[in-house]
Amino acid sequence: MSDLKITGLHKHYGAFHAVKGIDLEVPSGELTVLVGPSGCGKSTLLRTIAGLEEASAGTIEIGGKNVTWARPRDRDIAMVFQNYALYPYLNVHENIAFGLRARKVASDEADKRVKRAAEMLGIAQLLRRFPRELSGGQRQRVAIGRAIVRDALLFLFDEPLSNLDAQLRDDMRVEIKRLHQELGRTMIYVTHDQIEAMTLADRIALLREGRIEQLGAPLDLFERPATRFVAGFLGSPKMNFLPAIIESGDVILRDGTKLTLPPGRKAPNGQAVILGLRPQHIAKAGMGTAPGHVQLPSTIELVQPTGSRVQVSMPLGGSSITAEFAAHEVTAPGEQVRIDIDMIRAVLIDPQTDEVI
Amino acid sequence: MTTIPFYRRKETKLVLRYVIALALVVIFVFPIYWLFAISFKTPGEIFAFPPVWYPKSIQFNNYAVLFKDGDAKTVGNSLVLASLSTVFAMILGTIAAYSLVRFKTGGENLALWIISQRMIPPVAIVFPVFLLYVWLSWVDTYIGLIILYTSFSLPYVIWMMRGYIEDIPLELEESALIDGCSRREVLWKVVFPMVRAGLFATAVFTFVFSWNDFLFALVLTRTEVATYTVQVTHYFGGQSNFWSKIAAMSVLGTIPVFITVATLQRFLVRGISMGAVKG
Amino acid sequence: MPAIAHPDRNFKYWLISPAIFLLLLIGLFPLIFSLVVSFMRISMLETDRSFAGPVNFVQLFHDARLWQSLAHTALIIVIALPVELLLGLAMAYLFLDTMPGRQILISLLVLPTIISPIVAGATWRLLFDNRYGPINQILGWFAGHPVAALWTVNPRLVYPAIIFCEIWQWTPFMFLILLAALSNVDRSLTEAAEIDGARFWRSFRYIVLPAIWPVMSIAILIRGLDLFRIFDIIWALTAGGPGTMTETISVYAYVQGFQQFETSYMAAIAFLVIALLTVIVTFAVRRMGLAK
Repeated sequence: MSDLKITGLHKHYGAFHAVKGIDLEVPSGELTVLVGPSGCGKSTLLRTIAGLEEASAGTIEIGGKNVTWARPRDRDIAMVFQNYALYPYLNVHENIAFGLRARKVASDEADKRVKRAAEMLGIAQLLRRFPRELSGGQRQRVAIGRAIVRDALLFLFDEPLSNLDAQLRDDMRVEIKRLHQELGRTMIYVTHDQIEAMTLADRIALLREGRIEQLGAPLDLFERPATRFVAGFLGSPKMNFLPAIIESGDVILRDGTKLTLPPGRKAPNGQAVILGLRPQHIAKAGMGTAPGHVQLPSTIELVQPTGSRVQVSMPLGGSSITAEFAAHEVTAPGEQVRIDIDMIRAVLIDPQTDEVI
Repeated sequence: MTTIPFYRRKETKLVLRYVIALALVVIFVFPIYWLFAISFKTPGEIFAFPPVWYPKSIQFNNYAVLFKDGDAKTVGNSLVLASLSTVFAMILGTIAAYSLVRFKTGGENLALWIISQRMIPPVAIVFPVFLLYVWLSWVDTYIGLIILYTSFSLPYVIWMMRGYIEDIPLELEESALIDGCSRREVLWKVVFPMVRAGLFATAVFTFVFSWNDFLFALVLTRTEVATYTVQVTHYFGGQSNFWSKIAAMSVLGTIPVFITVATLQRFLVRGISMGAVKG
Repeated sequence: MPAIAHPDRNFKYWLISPAIFLLLLIGLFPLIFSLVVSFMRISMLETDRSFAGPVNFVQLFHDARLWQSLAHTALIIVIALPVELLLGLAMAYLFLDTMPGRQILISLLVLPTIISPIVAGATWRLLFDNRYGPINQILGWFAGHPVAALWTVNPRLVYPAIIFCEIWQWTPFMFLILLAALSNVDRSLTEAAEIDGARFWRSFRYIVLPAIWPVMSIAILIRGLDLFRIFDIIWALTAGGPGTMTETISVYAYVQGFQQFETSYMAAIAFLVIALLTVIVTFAVRRMGLAK
């Protein structure tokens, strides 16, 4: 059973083709994150699902009903907006109850639901306040409250956390995750922040230029990216890309450095490839070498501590790469280290098609 | 040579500015004072030489005459015409402006055509309108004047409200649409509350324009709905014993505007400059 | 194109149609009507409804009184507009900084602008009265002997009277707009220029003027248009007299239409006015950089 089914969806704005044929099915109760760089069409897709934009072609089904031409209010959806969209002339209670009023829910029933939602979100003491008297985080809670009292089939989130500062954003992310678990409702969440996407999603749809580049569980996308774009978009710090050539089962970098592939890894002999290495998969060498790992000497050029971890830059194969070490493992630039590369998790990309081999 | 300390120079400047400012206020307010003064004077005081600068006692005889003769009814006419046409112009103009802003109806050309309507001098349209009204039997009727003032105010209202509506975050309307409002409900429940301040500001000026009109009222009214501006001019011609009536009638017609503007003063600036100054 | 129409598709037309209907009724209909009538020969004496060709428009060019009325209008604009602008600007500067009771003084200054032009004209009629009016009395104090100037009758004095009244009523309008515009100018810019040693004039010319120009140009345009169709003040003060000495284009058109009943000819005048305005406004909008 799926709550949302999109088939062959296109959206044009005059000459601009924002959404270029999207098929997407969202299973009941799942939180799907639409993620991608700005301009990839993720917001347009969400707004078309909501009915705020008309589809140029294709169909949208919500709860098994074709709603492609339905008004937003007839789609059984609730939505949380980036700028909260609170009515400044209504207090928190009235803001949360707005949708219930519009749908002529009896006022004692509405009051009950507003109270329950407010308690769930920890804003029960703010019900008499006006939006201008609230902090950013409180406003966002009210906005979410307004959506959840609606008890809709499908919840849409349009970059709800992007106006909050970093600390608050982490808190709210946890809150949303918790809400999703408690409510068990189907949710579509749009963000440009890959960390948000990774932490929240049951499934991620990574969009690029109006198409879904890859769809799958967050770890699937992280570990088994389908394309160079996916590999580069997810993960922080970014994946290192090194031009190389395959020779008899080994990866040969530009300066001749040889990295042996694990046994059984298929690679087209004699072909140019791009080697993708995640910084997390490059470690300071320990005692022995694990199977499928390669050890090399290098010199640390730059050190950027991030707390428990430290990002280090160093030369490899004629380029500079980034690795992530534990904080205590590095002292200063200029240090000679032996690095350990996990070649099992290395990614090989065909430079012609940008697809992962 | 002594130098004046900086703060002293600043004080001197303030005193000088203040003197000039007060002088200007006296010059600009004096005519209005004079008008009010005459309306309270006795005929003897009005036609005294040299002029009497203030009435010896406040007496309302000049007003009483206007009410007794029924001339004061023209102020009531002005009130009905200006208020009703303001209400209609605000409603029709705001929803039209909403259509222009939110749906880009007719594109930029339609918006420009509408504002260009304000350019047309009343004297260029008053005659054809007169003939049209003769044909419709609308001359000297409330409906005729109300429709005329409403239409004549529309370009201003649409222009002003367009600016205010553009400032409404789109998300508020979209959120309402998703939450269960129809397009029409969004207008009443979101758009109108959001532009409340703009509605007041625009309404004040719409009201003042219609209230102060003379030419349309001169041509299109006779006796039934004659406005106070027309009534004032009836006292002109020759006989100077009408002075008290001119003054009293003018004051009666001026006080409502003063009250309206005074109560809604903080909206003045943006309204008067057709939205050119935001704030 | 989508096969099924969105249910709210026509909503925007419903919203705008009443306004458009009224604007067509009061705006466009009279224009077309005037255009048609201006090619006929309808007047009080004749009800000839046949097409007469451009006779009325030819007559426009031979009508000295018409061109004089245009010249009168131009004279008033050319004097009143710059004075209102400069005086308004000076007053705005005067009130820019704080002073005790500033808000009240500003409110008092704005009063002339919100009263009806007819009342303004009537008021000045009373003020200008040669015997019982205070103007001559005050002038007498300065002159040292009684003054009995006939402001609304004496050909040499009618224009000063009209223009004085006009300036009195509308300078506050300029003042209020320019005050708002000046308050919005970033003080740190002019202060920086002062520290750099710039004189007032330089900092006004290169910092303040560019900043207030968008607002100022609209104010000039609005006032220019209003002055072009000036009617009420003149009607109240002189009614176009003495003779036709102060007849502006609006007064002349009114007289032709409603006192001499030259229906077709008035329509032609109306058309000339609109054509002139269109040209002037288009030119002004281009010249002042308003067309963004």
